[in-house]
Amino acid sequence: MSRCDFKIVLLGSEHVGKTSLVLRFVNCRFNADIPYQNTVGAAFCAKAMQSNGKNFNIGIWDTAGSERYEAMTKIYYRGAHAAIICYEPSSVASWKRLRHWLQELRGVEENCKVYLCGTKKDLLDGGYVCREVPEDTIASYTQGLCGHFFTSSKTGENVDELFQKIVDDCAADVQLMKNVEDMRLQLQKEEVAFKAKSKDYCFC
Amino acid sequence: MEDVLDEIVSSEDLQKFEKVFHEQLHQGNVTHKAQFEYAWCLVRSKYPTDIRKGILLLKELFNSHPDGKRDYLFYLAIGNARIKEYNKALHYVKSFLEIEPANQQVLALERQINKRMEKEGLIGIAVASGAVLAIGGIVGLGIALASKK
Repeated sequence: MSRCDFKIVLLGSEHVGKTSLVLRFVNCRFNADIPYQNTVGAAFCAKAMQSNGKNFNIGIWDTAGSERYEAMTKIYYRGAHAAIICYEPSSVASWKRLRHWLQELRGVEENCKVYLCGTKKDLLDGGYVCREVPEDTIASYTQGLCGHFFTSSKTGENVDELFQKIVDDCAADVQLMKNVEDMRLQLQKEEVAFKAKSKDYCFC
Repeated sequence: MEDVLDEIVSSEDLQKFEKVFHEQLHQGNVTHKAQFEYAWCLVRSKYPTDIRKGILLLKELFNSHPDGKRDYLFYLAIGNARIKEYNKALHYVKSFLEIEPANQQVLALERQINKRMEKEGLIGIAVASGAVLAIGGIVGLGIALASKK
């Protein structure tokens, strides 16, 4: 039985690219041929990562951005160690919603580490869209948070860096690591108990 | 271990959405939203009776609210898979894929359902072959004892 050591949730308005970010990170792929599909409720992915030579399982909950699911997705914030709030630099509307997402998150998980992620960097770099959110606005907003990354799920730029920073920060958090160790011990105990119990029923 | 089929709703959440649904039911005006949220909690319950109730509510929504079709199909598939009605679950997966053939979430769900069917099928075989071995052992022992006499 392996549980996840760190839980990460993704938040942000619909169509900013949360699912593409997760799929790029987990599968190292971006498929431009697949049309936009809005996520139903929430999707889960897991990935093994390392920080400072130690192994960690991370679980990622990719929540639906559509307002229709808001009451439901809030439930997935619970117990999150870190959150990535996504926005599109070319969409003021998605940026304005950030405060809303942050409030929703803080209402459920006060101590969650928060990272901002500006998505679709390739579109901006290629001149396909215009920046609507000024960089200094982003910088001042990020100050109270754990970090800001500007990613492209298409090219993969900064995607691994974002998740690596989260895992490194979590691994460096003494209180959080204590909880992780406790949980691992608990799981081990349960596993031993489970094995002992199943022995009783074994025919051999 | 943690996947969408293993996820279990907390009783507080279930009660919260149940309350809203029942209040609306009492007033004689249940919104799609309230019914969907309640059904979504029910299909993630650990009790099969809850899951079955959730499936009924989702079917009702599916027939009355075409806009939410894909949501209802998705959770109908999850609910059925959780009570091991795998063929029904795969039927809903198929219906979803007819609307959106490349949906990653649903393709992943399909893989999970197939994996479970395979796993439980194998466990079935393992139990059966274990029984055959045990019976074989007893018969063998019987023959050995009989020949000793």
